[in-house]
Amino acid sequence: MLTVALAKGRTAEDLVPLWRESLLPCPEDVLSSRALVFEVDWPPGERIRFLLAKPMDVPTYVFYGVADLGVVGKDILLEQERAVYELLNLEVARCRLCVAGRPELAAETPQRVATKYPRLAESYFRRQGQVVDLVELGGSIELAAVIGLTDRIFDLVQTGATLAANGLTVFDEVEQISARLIVNRSSYRLKSTEIATVVEGLTAAVRRRRVHA
Amino acid sequence: MAIARVEWNVWMAVIGRRLIGIEQWMEFADKPLGMQDGYAGFAKQRRVLESTIVRHLEREGHELVSCGAFEYVETLLRARPVGPLEQWVQWVDASGRAVALRPEMTPSIARMAAPLVSSGQRSLRWSYAERVYRRVAAPTASLQFASGSVRESTQVGVEWIGGSGVLADVRLLELCHSALREAGLAQAHTVLSHARIAPLFLAAVGISQGLVAQLLALLHAGKYVDFEELAGSTPVHGGLLSALRKLRPEQPRSLEDVFVTFGKRVSPSSDLVAAWSELVELAARMRESGLSADMTFDLTFHRDVAYYTGLIFETFAPGVGVPIALGGRYDHLLQQFGAEAPAVGFAFELEQLMEAKGMAIGWSTRAGVASC
Repeated sequence: MLTVALAKGRTAEDLVPLWRESLLPCPEDVLSSRALVFEVDWPPGERIRFLLAKPMDVPTYVFYGVADLGVVGKDILLEQERAVYELLNLEVARCRLCVAGRPELAAETPQRVATKYPRLAESYFRRQGQVVDLVELGGSIELAAVIGLTDRIFDLVQTGATLAANGLTVFDEVEQISARLIVNRSSYRLKSTEIATVVEGLTAAVRRRRVHA
Repeated sequence: MAIARVEWNVWMAVIGRRLIGIEQWMEFADKPLGMQDGYAGFAKQRRVLESTIVRHLEREGHELVSCGAFEYVETLLRARPVGPLEQWVQWVDASGRAVALRPEMTPSIARMAAPLVSSGQRSLRWSYAERVYRRVAAPTASLQFASGSVRESTQVGVEWIGGSGVLADVRLLELCHSALREAGLAQAHTVLSHARIAPLFLAAVGISQGLVAQLLALLHAGKYVDFEELAGSTPVHGGLLSALRKLRPEQPRSLEDVFVTFGKRVSPSSDLVAAWSELVELAARMRESGLSADMTFDLTFHRDVAYYTGLIFETFAPGVGVPIALGGRYDHLLQQFGAEAPAVGFAFELEQLMEAKGMAIGWSTRAGVASC
């Protein structure tokens, strides 16, 4: 059995249409059901299982081998540096990792930064020669800058609508982010035939999208 | 009787938990990050498994050796001059010399073997069972990455000093799999490559030295997306990953066939042809020895250990995401320690092996019910 861990939320929502375009099996209700584990027949005589997990947990499930494959944003791979193999840029769930804040503070030296990505943020500001206090938050990072807890946020930006709605602006774009197909080192060797079929299907689907873009 | 004792222990633990409040837990002494306590069950099972493998290695002609947990940093640097220094746990001893907890056993074995080889012993077959220590990032713990935490693990391995040639490589691979069978692991698969082929191949197709190092680092990390992006920016314009994947030592002509796709302007160097010949011979010998079913070649597999000169391999088992065994040939390492001898060896990662066994035969770490 092949097990695939999908990052819940926008990554899974963007991935499922691509997965279906690749003619790989996909549970009908994977996006609508509240279940976290789904199974369908594939390949003939066997099963493929899908897990819906918190994005930050996907590399962990894959690293420990309870999931063979995972689909997760590059932001999380950069932050965690788990020893997993990155097989494919799926070119979905695109966004930008940005530094943002209130426009009136743009010229000020950053003092305190809110983020879900302490490792990346520390590395980014160190490269800029800036020493900052990092405040690690679990979500709604914008709020920290809005209410003055921090003078910068270091977070993902998709359309920029949330930033704009909260009176914040992008100061710097750090990295372009998209969903990646990952695999643990063991499954890559032990289930190479099934994994190659998945990679070939997804590669073809990504190429077709590029042609029609 | 044993079951009654287990039940008594469980009841005592339940009663204990009810009597001890959370305030009291906070007063107990902390365990250093990354250190591993082994309570009843786990510790015993680890020792049983370790002894099973060591006895098998002894029956196969290996003498058990041991050494201290520290090495001078200078010793480790002899083995890996461009080593992962950030992974070593270092401090300065009373004499002012930098020391480190050993991150692996091979440099210590080379240090111990060199004087014996120098005095005329041409062949040493040693085994060991020791703890090793590496500083690792802790991605799930807030800001712990700044200092890192230490991970203690157990390696049981063999080193053949003086063992040269492809036949020795085949015997070592046989030993690795026979020890796994002896340890009760029915299913394992080994991936093989040659330490010099990927670097020589990339150089032969015209990649500059600096880029070769970057591409090899990406291969080692399995960052294939980044590898293809970087390769695509070179004059070769990509295709390198699929070219490496097409190199099949079971098909000796595949090297020439792959070079044909790059046109007449490039050809394999003599060093590359020599390394390829070793791997072709290894594939043939493996087929004769019946090893091919449990092993595959993959020339995109690369390890960042500078002292490897020939065969490199990793062994995997179902349900464990990382290798349960790692090894390779290091024919020039002894030179760095004052002697000259070819060598090859491997190590089992014992805790990973325990995990693989647990999943394979329903082994449990619960006290009193474990069996090996």
